[in-house]
Amino acid sequence: MSFLDRFLSGSKSKAEATGALSAPLKGRVVPLEQVPDAAFSGKILGDGIAIEPSEGLLVSPVNGEVVQIFRTNHAVGLLSDDGVEVLLHIGIDTVKMNGEGFRAHVKAGDKVKAGDKLVEFDLDLVRAKAKSTITPIVVTNMDAIASVETLRSGEVAHGQDLLRVTPKKA
Amino acid sequence: MEKTVRILNDEGFHARPAGVFVKKASEFTSTIEVKAGEVTKNGKSIMALMSLGLAKDAEITIKAQGPDEAAAVDALVDLVNKKFQA
Repeated sequence: MSFLDRFLSGSKSKAEATGALSAPLKGRVVPLEQVPDAAFSGKILGDGIAIEPSEGLLVSPVNGEVVQIFRTNHAVGLLSDDGVEVLLHIGIDTVKMNGEGFRAHVKAGDKVKAGDKLVEFDLDLVRAKAKSTITPIVVTNMDAIASVETLRSGEVAHGQDLLRVTPKKA
Repeated sequence: MEKTVRILNDEGFHARPAGVFVKKASEFTSTIEVKAGEVTKNGKSIMALMSLGLAKDAEITIKAQGPDEAAAVDALVDLVNKKFQA
């Protein structure tokens, strides 16, 4: 087990204890309203946060299941064990890169733990070819959610608590 | 009530189209389903629709059941035909 794995598994149990989504990327926290894509900034896809990554590694923010990984490997949909649907979308307009520079470590149906590797990507290539590297992290089943609260601003590392998502009471 | 349409936009049924589709579908009280091949998904769930992984030129059948089913199917077919430009 590498240092990073140990570090991530340590953060995972912390995230479980607080019921929070942990940071799937290392980088700078950006409010969703500042994402240069109206589908995200206008919250058409749901509420959440974004990260401008400083490393090309996306890990799971939750314990749950991979619902979908887009065929170009730049977007991952997860369903957490708590019933929160989370969409992670690496960069903006990255669909046009057609998968170049993205390597998936999971497939639809896989069970994941917070901190598990989802996608590795060539950050320099995304910077060169896409509109932005800013990566939205949004909760897409907002009809089942009471509140989404941001827990962090500024720099964030993999596994640190990022969002508190409170489902509606049944 | 159901109609079949072809996806015309280059990105396919990806994040933005799914968000726009669900927003429109949620304006109706009818239950809405989207069928692609043998798979049927809830038309009011972004994640469910994205999980179909549909590319340009894929055919989908939009089904609605309820008091406003005809208006719902027409509105959603129109949205797909307009490449999800709401």
